[in-house]
Amino acid sequence: MNSKSLKKKALIIAAALALPFGAAAQQYSAGSEVTVLQGFSPGGGSDALAQLVQPYLSKELGANFVNQYQPGATGAIAWTRLAKQTRADGRTISITNTPMLMTNYIMNPTITYSIDEITPLANVVTDPGVIVVRAESPYQTVEELFEAARANPETITIGNSGVGGDDYFSTIMVEKATGLKFIKVPFQGDGPSWAAALAGTIDASFNNLGITFPQIQAGNLRVLAVFTEDRLPEIPDVPTLREKGIDVVAGSSRGYSGPKGMSAEHVQQFIAAMDRVIANPDFLRDARERAFVIDYRSGDDYMTFLKNQEVTFKAIWEEVKDQAQ
Amino acid sequence: METSFIAIGFANALTPTNLMFMTLGTALGLMVGALPGLSATMALALLLPLTFSLPPETGLCMLASLYLAAMYGGSIAAILLRTPGTPAAAATLLDGFPMASRGEAGRALGISLTSSLVGGIISGIALLTIAPFLGKLVLLFGPVELFAIAVLGITMIGTLAKGSPMKGLLAGALGLLLAMVGMDPTTGTARFTAGNINLFSGVPFTVALIGLFSIPQAIALAEQARGKQPRPAQISDRVIPRLPEFLRLLPNSMRSAVIGVVTGLIPGTGGDTASWFAYNEAKRFAKDKSRFGKGDPAGVAAPEAANNAVVGGALVPTIALGIPGSSATAVLLGGLMVHGILPGPTLLTDYGDVTYTLIWAILLANIPLFLLGLLFTRFSVIVMRVPRMAVAVAIVVMSIVGSFAINNNLFDVWLMLGFGLLGYIFERAGIPTAPMVIGLVLGMLLDVSLNQSLLIGRGNWGIFLESKISLVLLAIAALSILQATPFFRLVFGRFGRRKAVPQAGTMAGDS
Repeated sequence: MNSKSLKKKALIIAAALALPFGAAAQQYSAGSEVTVLQGFSPGGGSDALAQLVQPYLSKELGANFVNQYQPGATGAIAWTRLAKQTRADGRTISITNTPMLMTNYIMNPTITYSIDEITPLANVVTDPGVIVVRAESPYQTVEELFEAARANPETITIGNSGVGGDDYFSTIMVEKATGLKFIKVPFQGDGPSWAAALAGTIDASFNNLGITFPQIQAGNLRVLAVFTEDRLPEIPDVPTLREKGIDVVAGSSRGYSGPKGMSAEHVQQFIAAMDRVIANPDFLRDARERAFVIDYRSGDDYMTFLKNQEVTFKAIWEEVKDQAQ
Repeated sequence: METSFIAIGFANALTPTNLMFMTLGTALGLMVGALPGLSATMALALLLPLTFSLPPETGLCMLASLYLAAMYGGSIAAILLRTPGTPAAAATLLDGFPMASRGEAGRALGISLTSSLVGGIISGIALLTIAPFLGKLVLLFGPVELFAIAVLGITMIGTLAKGSPMKGLLAGALGLLLAMVGMDPTTGTARFTAGNINLFSGVPFTVALIGLFSIPQAIALAEQARGKQPRPAQISDRVIPRLPEFLRLLPNSMRSAVIGVVTGLIPGTGGDTASWFAYNEAKRFAKDKSRFGKGDPAGVAAPEAANNAVVGGALVPTIALGIPGSSATAVLLGGLMVHGILPGPTLLTDYGDVTYTLIWAILLANIPLFLLGLLFTRFSVIVMRVPRMAVAVAIVVMSIVGSFAINNNLFDVWLMLGFGLLGYIFERAGIPTAPMVIGLVLGMLLDVSLNQSLLIGRGNWGIFLESKISLVLLAIAALSILQATPFFRLVFGRFGRRKAVPQAGTMAGDS
C-alpha cells in the first residue's frame, strides 16, 4: 500500500524531473559524470566488477564513473536510494547483485523497493554455484553426499554465505528438488563458508566457482557439482546438478541498473557501449585473469532474468519462511 | 625454493621506486589513521584502483605500508583528542589521553610509536619465518573456538569496570544488547531495528566509537574553555622514549605483539579485539593496577604494539591459504587479483616473488613509519597549543565528517551524535565506557558463533567442551570470573587480597 503510493509519487517526480532535463541531457556525452551507487564496501565483489568494467566502459561511453559506496542491509540501502530517491537522468546508476536485489524485499517487508522501480541495464557476470568438500572428505561424488543425507536426515551440515544469499537459496532449491533435509549453517560471506568446509567443521559448502577456484586447483577442495546448464570448461569432469536429475541452476550475478524512467536514449547508449566492452578481447582477458565468468544479458533480457528469479525466490520463501524463523 | 623467494622479495622491496611508494603509503596511512572515520580498510580500497597501473610489487609495498601506518596513526587522535582515529585505537585512549592531559602528549605518542614498531617488526618476522606453518593453524578456529574467544573477551569487562562492578556490568550488558541490533544472522529477521533499514546491518561500530568518546571530550573541552590553557612548556616534552623506559616497556610490547599476531591470525577478529586483549593482559601482569586508566605508559604500549602486530598476523592466513584474516587483508587480496594473481595456496609457490616482496614490505615499512611518524608526531602535538574551544569545534566537525564518510549515510551522523549523548551521560554518571565498547566489539561475534556452533553441533551445547581449544579458553574465562569473586579470595587467601586492594582505589575514573 505504502509502496504503491510511493511508487506513484516517484513516477510523478521522475516525470516532472524528466521534462526540464529532457531536451538538454538525454544522452551521455564526453565528460559527463555518472555516479555508480554501490551497496557494498569498497574492495568487495561489487567493487571488483566496477574496477574491471568501468575503465573500459568509460572509454566506450565517454562518461566518467564515480563510485559511491553506501554499504548496509545487504545492499538495500543503496538500492532503496536508487529506486526511490534518484533522478532518472542517467547520471546515477547502481551495481545490482542477484539474488540479493530481490531476496532483500522478499524476505523483509520493511524493505520497500522492488525491481519494478528500476531499469535493468545489463548483467555482466555470474559466478556459478558449486558444492565443495575438503580433500579428505569421505564424499567423492554428489550422489554419495546426498545418499548420506538420505540415510540420516538433518545431520549433514551445509555452509552458505549468509541468509538471503545465492548459496542459501540454492541449498533450499536442492532440498526441494531432492526431498532431502540439510542443516544449513550461515557464514559471513563465501570465504568463511569454504574455509569451514576446508577445516572439516561442516560437511560441505554451497559456494561459488570463482571464489573457490584456487583451492580447487590446489587440490584442497573437491567440487562435487556445479549449478550451471552445461558443464564448464574450467572443470570439465564436474557434473551439473541437471545431469543428476536435479533442476537447479543458480549463481551470484552482478550487473548495472538505473532508476525507473531513464530515457530510452540513455539506456540504448549504455547498452551499446556495454556491447562493445563485452566484445573487446582485452576486457575478456582481464575478466578471465580475475576469474570472472561473463554472463552478459542486456536490457529486456536482464529484466526477464530478474523477473524469473523474483518468482522463484518468492515461491521458495513463502514455503520456508515459517521454518526459517 | 623458498629461501630464494625470500632473497628475491628482499631485493624487490629495496628498489628505489618501491621504497618511494612505501614512504608515500606511510604518509597517507598516518593521515588516514589520524582522521576518525577513515579506516585502513577504506583507504586501502580507495587506493587500490590507483595501484592498478603500478607493477604488483610496487602497489603492494604501498598498500602494506599504508595499512601499517594507519594502525599507528589511529593513536594520534586517540592520545591528543580522546577521539579514536581507528577502532583499533580505542583502547589506547584509556591511558594515552590522561598522559596527554597532564602534559605528556609527546611521551605518550613516542611510546605509541615505538611500541607500534615493536609490534610491526615482530609481526613481520612472524610472517617471514612461520607463515607457511601457521597457516594451517587458522583452520583450527571454527565457530566453536570463536565463541570461546568471544566469551573470554567478554570477561575483560571485569578488568575495565574500574572500581564499580555494577556500573561496568551495566555498560557491558548495554553494549552486548546494542550489538544484537540488526538482521539475525541465522534467520534473516530484523531485530530491534524499529523498521529502519539503516540499522539492518547493525549499529556501525566505528560510528558508535566516534560518538562515545569524541563528543563527551568536545563537550568537556568546551566546558573548560574559560579555564587557563595548559602551559606550552609542558607540551614540548621529549618524543623518543629514553632507553630505560623503552626497555621497561619492551616485555609488555612483545607480549602484546604476540597477542596481536595470534588475534590477527584468527579470521573474524582483528585490531579492535587485539588491542583490548593486550590492554587486559598488560593490566593483569602489572604490579600496580591502580595506575591503569590514569595514564600508565604500559596502557599505551600494549594496545599499540598489538594493533600493529595484527597486520602481520592477519596476513598469515591470507598468504598461506588465501583466507583473508581481516577486512583490510581482503582488500589486499583484491589488489593481487587485479594483477591476475588468484589468492590461494599458490601465493607462496607460483607467486612467491610477489608474496615475499609484500612480506618484506611489512617489515621494511617500519623504517619510514618511524621517521615519518616522528615528524608527524612533532607536528601534531601543536594541537595542544590550540585554544580548547577551537579544538572542541574541530572534534565535532571531524566526528560528523568521519561518521558520514564510513557509509556515505546521514543517518550515521545522527547515530554518532546519539552515542555522543550516551557517552556524555555515562561520563556524568561515572559509568565506564570501555566495557560497552567490549560488548559492541564482541557481541556480534558471540551471537554468530553461538548460532553456528549449535547448528553444527545439532543443538548440543556439549560441542563447546569437545574442542580442546575452546575448552582451554572457556576454562581461562571461568578462572577470570572466579578470580573476581569472594570465593576465590577465600581459597587463595593473601594472594587474592593483595590484588583486590588497589582495585578499590580506582573510583575516580579518567578525566
